This record gives sequence, C-alpha cells and structure tokens, in this order.
Amino acid sequence: MPLVAAYHRPRTLEEALSLLAEPDHTVLAGGTTINADRDASDVEVVDLQALDLDAIVADGARVRIGAMATLGSVAESGLVPEWLQIIARAESPSTLRNLATVGGSVATRSGESLFLAALLVSDAYVEMAGADGQSLSALVEHGVPDEAIITAVSIDASGKGGTALTGRTPADVPIVAAVARTADGRTTLALTGVAATPVLADPNDPTAGLTPPADFRGTAVYRLMLARTLSERAVEAAR
Amino acid sequence: MSAKIEVSFQLNGKQRELQVLPSANLRDVLRGEGMFSVKFGSASGETGAAAVLFDGKLASSDVILAAQADGHSITTVESLNTERELHPIQAAFAAVGALQSGYSAGAMVLGTMALLEQTSDPSESEIRDMLGGILDRETAYVKPVEAVKRAAAVLRGETVTGFEPMILTPLTDGKNAAIYDAKNKPPPGSGAVPRLIPSRDVPEMAVVGKPEVKVDAVRLAKGNPAFTDDIEPRAMLYCRLLTSPHAHANIVDIDDTAALALEGVHAVLHHKNVARIKYASGGQSWPNPHPHDQVSFDTKVRHVGDRVAAVAADTIEIAEEAVRLIKVEYEVLPAVFDEREAMLPGAPKIHDEVDTEEIFDADKNIVHEIKAQRGDVEKALASAPHVFEQTFRVHQVQQCPIEPHISIAWIDEDERMVIRTATQVPFHARRMVAPLLEMDIKDIRIIKPRIGGGFGAKQEMLLEDIVGHLAKATRRPCRLELTREEEFASSRTRHPQTITYRTGVDDDGKLVAQDMYVIGNTGPYGTHGYTVQTVSGMRGLSQYNCPNKRFHCDVVYTNIPVPGAYRGYGAPQAEFALEAHLEDIAIELGYDVIEFKRKNWVTAGSVIDIAPHLGERAVVDGELDEYPIVMTEGIEECVAQAMREIGWHRRDDAAWREPADRPHIRRGLGFAFCMHGTAIPFLDMGGCSIKLNDDGSFNMLVGATDLGTGADTVLGQIAAEVLGVRLEDIKVYSSDTDMTPFDTGAYASSTTYISGTAAMRAAEVARTRIKERAAMLLDVEQPCTIELRDRRAYAPDGSSVSMEDIALDSLHTQEQEQIMGTASYVSPDCPPPFAAQLVEVEVDIETGQVTVPKMVMAVDCGVAINPITASGQVEGGMLQALGYAHCEEFAYDDAGKMLNTSFGPYKIYRADEMPETVVYLVQTMEDSGPFGAKAVAEIPKDGVAPALRNAILNATGAAINDLPFTPERVWAALNDK
Repeated sequence: MPLVAAYHRPRTLEEALSLLAEPDHTVLAGGTTINADRDASDVEVVDLQALDLDAIVADGARVRIGAMATLGSVAESGLVPEWLQIIARAESPSTLRNLATVGGSVATRSGESLFLAALLVSDAYVEMAGADGQSLSALVEHGVPDEAIITAVSIDASGKGGTALTGRTPADVPIVAAVARTADGRTTLALTGVAATPVLADPNDPTAGLTPPADFRGTAVYRLMLARTLSERAVEAAR
Repeated sequence: MSAKIEVSFQLNGKQRELQVLPSANLRDVLRGEGMFSVKFGSASGETGAAAVLFDGKLASSDVILAAQADGHSITTVESLNTERELHPIQAAFAAVGALQSGYSAGAMVLGTMALLEQTSDPSESEIRDMLGGILDRETAYVKPVEAVKRAAAVLRGETVTGFEPMILTPLTDGKNAAIYDAKNKPPPGSGAVPRLIPSRDVPEMAVVGKPEVKVDAVRLAKGNPAFTDDIEPRAMLYCRLLTSPHAHANIVDIDDTAALALEGVHAVLHHKNVARIKYASGGQSWPNPHPHDQVSFDTKVRHVGDRVAAVAADTIEIAEEAVRLIKVEYEVLPAVFDEREAMLPGAPKIHDEVDTEEIFDADKNIVHEIKAQRGDVEKALASAPHVFEQTFRVHQVQQCPIEPHISIAWIDEDERMVIRTATQVPFHARRMVAPLLEMDIKDIRIIKPRIGGGFGAKQEMLLEDIVGHLAKATRRPCRLELTREEEFASSRTRHPQTITYRTGVDDDGKLVAQDMYVIGNTGPYGTHGYTVQTVSGMRGLSQYNCPNKRFHCDVVYTNIPVPGAYRGYGAPQAEFALEAHLEDIAIELGYDVIEFKRKNWVTAGSVIDIAPHLGERAVVDGELDEYPIVMTEGIEECVAQAMREIGWHRRDDAAWREPADRPHIRRGLGFAFCMHGTAIPFLDMGGCSIKLNDDGSFNMLVGATDLGTGADTVLGQIAAEVLGVRLEDIKVYSSDTDMTPFDTGAYASSTTYISGTAAMRAAEVARTRIKERAAMLLDVEQPCTIELRDRRAYAPDGSSVSMEDIALDSLHTQEQEQIMGTASYVSPDCPPPFAAQLVEVEVDIETGQVTVPKMVMAVDCGVAINPITASGQVEGGMLQALGYAHCEEFAYDDAGKMLNTSFGPYKIYRADEMPETVVYLVQTMEDSGPFGAKAVAEIPKDGVAPALRNAILNATGAAINDLPFTPERVWAALNDK
C-alpha cells in the first residue's frame, strides 16, 4: 500500500478536480489497484465514492455505466448484455469484484483486461470531468488526461458477443483472449495479451501490426498464433 | 508521519469511532479491534483471507483504506459469535470437515452468509463463484462447497443427517484384479463424501473409524484467536527484512547509520553485529545432516531474496523505511540457476567460504553424492532384450500456505527466550535456534499455536533465529511476518530435478533392471537437500519389483530461492518420471498400460529392498539380515474402484475422445500407480501424556504438530477408543516445548502412525491403572477382566462404575493418585500406503490448453482413523498436485529475480475452476499401525502429474516429459516444436 499521506472524500466534482490539481494527489476509486501497490511513494488520495457516480442507466440504445459502479454491480445489472455480465464477473474474484470499479479498470488500461476488451468492442465512450469525453479506444491509447476524472462509460448494448480465450486454467487471467461483437451486420474484435493495452483488431486480419510482449506464459510467436485462432472462434461465436 | 483522522463505521452492528492513520488499511484496523477472524494472506487481497462484508458484500479488507470505510457497515464472523453454540453456517463447516487449518474460515463463513442472503438455494456454480475469491490450499474446496449447501438446507428449515462416508462393497477379493465391466456404474452422490470400502479384518470400534467433528472446529469456525499473530505481547516491535536484490554477490559493506537514526527504530542486525555461527535450517532430527552452510546473516548473498539485514521498530511503516535507509555495497558475482549447468566447469562457485564442512565437491557445486544399488544393473541392462532411456525435468513450485511464516519472540520473566511461531517442528526449532542465539536449549521455549497450513514450508527454522536475535538486541517482544512476496522468494520451495531412467525389460514384460540418475537442485543451501533426494530414490525405485536397481544422485547448489521440504518430499518428482517412463515402455512394447504395471508392481509379500540403503539411517555397506516386506495392500481394490469411477472404458470410445461438436478438443484418461512411506523407521519419534481429570475427562498433551490436518482429532480418537470415552472427553493440547512431550514434528507422513501409536500406548498405560482402580471399586479380583466403554468400567458380572467416580475416588477419596499415562513410540517399520490415481483431460489441440474435468484417487491408507479428515487430506493433496502438474511455476528473469510473486501470476487453483474430485478409502488392516492405520497425507501428491501426463498422451499422442503442462508447452509438443 502506498504511504497515503492524506485522505480526501470530496462531495462535488468541482472539489475533486481542485484537489487533483494539487501535486501528488491521485484518484482513489475502488482501491484494488492503488491500495495493493507496494510502491512507497507518498500520495494524497481523492476518494470518489461520495460523488454518486455508480449508477447504471439505459440511455437510448446505449447503457451508461457510472465510473464508480463496481464490476460486481455490472455483473448483476440487467441492463448490461449477458455476455458482458459474464465477462465482468470473470474479471475479478468474489472478494475483489465488489470493490473494483469500471472507472478504475479503464484508467488502469491493463493489456490483460478482458473486460476492457469487451468495452472496446461495445463502442465504449468515456465521459470525463476536467477533460472532454472521448472514445475508449482513444483513451486506452493515451491514458486518462492529467487532473481529469472519468465519470461514466457508455456502451452500445446491442448485438451479440462472443469470447474465446486461452489460459493455464479455466479461471486464469487469459494469456490471450479475443472478444467479438456483431451488431447490424458489422463485427468488431478486440484482443488482450498482445500489446500493453487491449487493442481493437481487424476481424479479417487480426494480427496485423501486432508485436506482442513475451513473458513466461507465452512467447510472441505463441501469442500471435493464439490471436489468430481465438479471433476466428470469437467472431464465429458472435455471429 | 501523517496525523490521524477520525473514521466512523458500523462494526457488527455497533457504531465505532476510531482514530486511524490515512494509510491504515481496514484489515489491520479490524484486527486491532479484536476481529481475529480477519487474516493476513497478502497485501493485494487475492487470498481473500481478510474478506469481510462491506455493506453486506464480500470484500478483501487488505485493499480497503480504513478511511474508505467511514460511513459504511462492516461485518466480520465475530458477529455470529453471540452464543457458545455455533451459528448454523459455522456448524455446517464443522460438520462436513470443511475446516482444516481454518485460516480462511471467517471469510468462507461470511461469504456464505452474504450468498444465502441473496438466495436460499444457491447453485453449485454460485457457491463456487463465491468461494472463488478465497484461496485454499487444504480442502480443494470440496468440503467447503458441501458446507455451504448444508448450511443453506439448514437455514431453509430442512433436516440434515450426519455427514458420513458412503460404504461400498468391494469389487475384488482383495488380492486379484477385477474384471472391468463398463456396465457397472459408480455410485452416485456428492464428491465430498468419501467412498469407504471396509475390510473384514477390521473390528467394530466406537470412536476410531468414525466421522468425528474435529476437536478444534469451534475455535476455527468462530475465528477465535488461535494463530501465531492473534496474540500480541505488550510493547511489541515490528520487524522487517532487507533481502538481496542480486542472485549472487559479496556484501562489501553495510552502513546502517541512517536506519538507526530514524526515530522509532530499535535495532538493525546484519553480519557485522551478529555472531557467525554455522547451521543448516532444515527441521530434522539431531544431528542435522551436513553441510551446515548457513549463518544468520552472511557476508555473501546467494539468491534474490536472501537475508541481508533485519530491523525492529515501533511500527511496520518505520521498519520498512529503515530497511530502505540501509546502504549496502554489493560486489555482484556471476550466478547459475540450472542444476545441470551448475556442475559444469566454469560455473560460479556458490560456496567459496572456508568454514563450511562436508560439501562433497564445492568447486563443482555438488553438495552431496548419493548412491545405492541392488544387484548388478549394468550387467542386467546389457543382457536385457529391451532397454529404454528417458530424461524428465521437474520444476520449482511452492507450498503456498495462506498463512505466511510468522514468529514472535520475547524474553520472559526468567530471562528465557519464548518464541511463538508457525512451525511444524517446535522441538527441532528449539534445539537448532539455541546455538545461534548463544543460549542453552533449556532457556528456549517454542510455542506452536494453530498453524495456517505448512505443507513442509514450516519444517524449517526460518525466522526463529531472526526474531530471537532482535528480541535479545532490543529486550522487547519482536514480531516478524513475511509478506507474500517474501514468502515466495525468501522461504522454501520444491526441489527441481533432472531425472534420467534407464530400464531393462524382458520378453515377458518383467523389469530386469532400473537405473535412476537424479540431479537435484537444492538452491544455495543444503537444508533438506540430502534427505529429499534420498526419498526420490526410495520412491523412484520401490513400487515395482526389479532384481537390479541403482540410484545415483548429485545434489547441486544453484542461485534459485531455497528448496526445502514440501509435502511428498522428493516423491512427486520421482513418481512423475517413473510413471511416465513405464507408461511409454508399456505402449512401446504393446501392453495395456495398467496390465504392464500390474505385472511389475509390488504386492503383499514383496521385498522393499532399496529403501533401507537410503536416508538418514541408511545401511551404507553390506546387507541387512532381513529386509522389510509389504504386509498389507489394497492395490487391486483401489485400481478397480478408481477405474469404475472414472469410466476407464471411455479410453476406447472414439466418439467421446473426439467430440463432434468441439472439433479442436481431444479427450483422454490417464493412470498412475502410487506408493508412499509411513514415517522414517528408527528415526521419527512421538511422545504423548494423558491424565485423568475429576469429571472423567482427560487432558492429552502431544508434541505432534497439527497443521490443520486433523492430527489432534485423530490422536484424540485413538485415545478415546482405548479409554472407552467420547472424543469430546479428550482435551488435546499441542504443542509447547515446555509442556508437551517430544515429537519430531509433522512431516514424513508420520503423525497418525508414530504419534498415534504413542497416544495409543499412553492411553493404554492410563487404562491399566483405571482398570485397577475400577477393580477396587467393583470388588473384582482380576483388573484385566474390566472393560472400559461408554465412559464406564464394566466388571464381567455387568456391574459398573463411571469414569467420573473412578476419577473422584483416585483424586480425592482413597490412596489418592494422579492417573496418568506417558508413552513414546519409534517404529522399526514403514508400511507403505498405496493408491490408484486417475485423471480425465480435455486438450485443445489448436492452442495447447489443458483442462481437467475430473480426478479420482483410491487410497489404501490402512484404517482411516477419521474418514472425513483422511479424505480431506487426499482432496487437498490432489489440489496441490494438480497445481504442480498443470499451472504452478516459479518464473524468473535472466538475473534470477522471480517474476510472479503474487497469486494470479503464480497460479494456484480456485474454487470456481477445480475439477470434480472423488476419493475412495480402501481399508486394509495394518497390524503395525494404531488400530490398523497407515499414512495418508503425502500419497495424494504423487500421482496427479504422471496421470495427467499420461492422459494428455492418451488424448493426443504427445508424450511430454517436462512439467508443468502449460498451454504453450503442450502446443509446442503437439506441433513438435
């Protein structure tokens, strides 16, 4: 756990933004990442729990998920398509799922996050305070702007999703995973485990331009093979 | 340091206002408030041991700031502890044997509460999902899942019956193989229920063999303060370690000035201020095997994570800051990690110090050379019609108890050193730590409270010397608990090995020669290096009859984190290689794999000929007058029951093997035959004393070390059977070196057999005197005619007197005396348990992913004193063995730094992904054991890896000789890359 020098719980977004403008202040969402960090640097945390950012609401054809909604609440929300509920449930175990938030998952940009890949293929749009909103794919590439707060992520809840993954065991964080969604005859595809962040991929040429990072669970060659094989399966499942 | 802030939350229904630091986490704050059920497993929350209900939802308090809890509601298991009786959820966990160490019991009970609030009748997948966040190395989640189902039924108002084994009729005559019948289906029923096949040789008993609830179930289910960290002496200091960032380096200088100057730091210890006294840390009998190649703090580090310095301070945060302020100048040296490379010319010399004796060849990093032989192997191989040679590589994994190593030391009022510590070997630890602290053994007291799992990791004197040194330096109580990262890199692991077999077979399929060469990797220190590797020889060359055998082993130093004792102790490595090797030979020669092994496996009457020539009491030269022989075995019954349960005929069913709807899947079944030992003959010793109390109950003191295995319960059952009382009348206490008799400790599958016999004999001593007193009271001339049962002593004429009246008479009325029995036991025998392990597999032939839907183990462990705890041992052992085979591994960068020091990256099985497991207990009556018992704790570690390997071979044709079977390795084998 970092050496939290001070704890703030702002009541308004304005108050939160002004706190974040000060040096060494950082957002605290669920805490499963920052509070698990063994980094000993001093930080002041700005806890967003009092800002009412946890609602999940229908918004026309889309669903708007508050940034402080937990993965557990996404997994249980009837507004979220079932295939995405399953992915939200698998993202974290029962003891962390009710803490980890959607906003935190987006801000962390883990290249192994299946949930993030699922949001990517759901045409996710990230709403922010302190910065203009932007597509998730753009945000995943560049990160959350300094001193900004993610307030919500909206997704297109239509269509059919399909997932294919390979891990060491059934509940393992996948070495590589492919998530596809087909809506209005168009299929989008995203991959994990092939880059520093999850990436959108061309269903017809899923490994184009990829140079996957290697680790003990999979070499680059193996990950490219998995990306091709699993993309085909995910696209098929999303048909 | 930041100022404290005020937080206010509901704790178990009551409002609490507390002053906390902004950085304080909820786990520590709750423990400070007396919520002992909230346990430390790791800082990042993935063990779930510290899970609480946060506004009614399960959440790991490790990763919640106490400040985040302001305004919320927190529930811990203590909320249920309003009465002496257990809440129905807690009672369900106790009833089905779901509590082994019970370290994470609080989290499991709370998770059940939250789940049953949502739904009164949860599905198995909902239960497994809930348990998926609470890691367990002991139960394989089998009985916790059953406990949740039972609790749900009770809370729905349904009547539940006692949790008892399913009694089955035998499929064999006890000797000959059964004829397999595909139409004969296995009995249906929950996998949590052990299947028990009774033996006619076993007499009816009152307590032994019964599914008694564990004697420690209440304290564990309630989360009562039972573990090392649950008691804090006043003015205790918190300690942290500075460990090496380098795999191999000389320490040129250490400067502790800045650390000592930090306010709140009380001591900084390192090689400059701690005496250089040589030792070996493995918890073994005196004299500890050489070389004694360790000192408390050395001038050299030999692996990433090796000790450099230790700090004691007012708080953990100050201790951690002080560790960062210690300046160390290293001279980095070349390092070597692979045991094969460490022996080559030019490899760095890991032990170049002059004061370590009895390293076999320090220049080649060879610690020991071990040799044993029967017959003439070379001659037999030269004349054998079929000779096969194969090399296998087994990797490094860890025991991973959810409770990390923790020790608390203080100097008591008599200037003696008291160390309360999570150890499997309190008596060894006392003897071994004394010289390091420059104290007499009599001035050391080791207290072993409940242990949150050990599996061999705690068969080691690991932290006791450090807290002892710090307590001496500060004269304050000192507590040191390893972080999860340190537990991985700085505690103990399983030895990697390279194993080569050469085997000669005659034209009838009989083995004529077996030559086994092992290169064992003991890391930078010898510890258990000698004995683990000798067990590899015993287990690799004992379970098949063969007239010519040879074992040769080089135990070598490398710069990996230290291997030590891990449940199975050299056997899982050897049996993986052996069972894979014989599988391939069978296929090559055209035999059915089981038929080939059956031609050669030992049976009752077979001679165990190589084991006496290996180990700490090895017969080095010459022959024994008499070699041990196998007296009891239920091998064919085990094989028959396991084959029926798994549906062995599916191996020949093409439609099952290649499912039409999943074209990239191939299915297969694999078999492994297993044989283990029961204790170390002529070495392992256990003691027990029993005394009668006023009310006819007994206090039983044992040195044996219950790690969660149920040892206290089993020993209590044995004593209760002898004394004719109920288990609840036996109050078991273990262990404290000041109070309990000596015991070598919990290892080598010895407790039930050795300590159990000691318990039986101590109870018999007390029984003799009780009968004499009863004869006086009943006017019977021959005390031997008195029978003890149902808490009474009966005369032949049917008259009787209660145990309470005998106690009151002996303590208060006439010829007063304390009725007491003391006994100890060391065995000349080592009766082997046997087992058949079967594994079902699905292989994705495009990606290499291996999935295991089902595992079955049928074990002959003699008479299971308690079939519920015995089956729990088998289930938990299979979970760890599956991890070894399938997904667990230490991964390193090129400089020897471990890359996966947390659960997740280091993958251990969770509840929501465990295969179905079924356990069969095949009774045999082993006359040398207490009430017929043999060992059960380690044999479940032996067969999963080879059975899984052989199942993959059966499914795909790929024979893989390296562990573990991770997707890329299997994919490469399938594609021959």
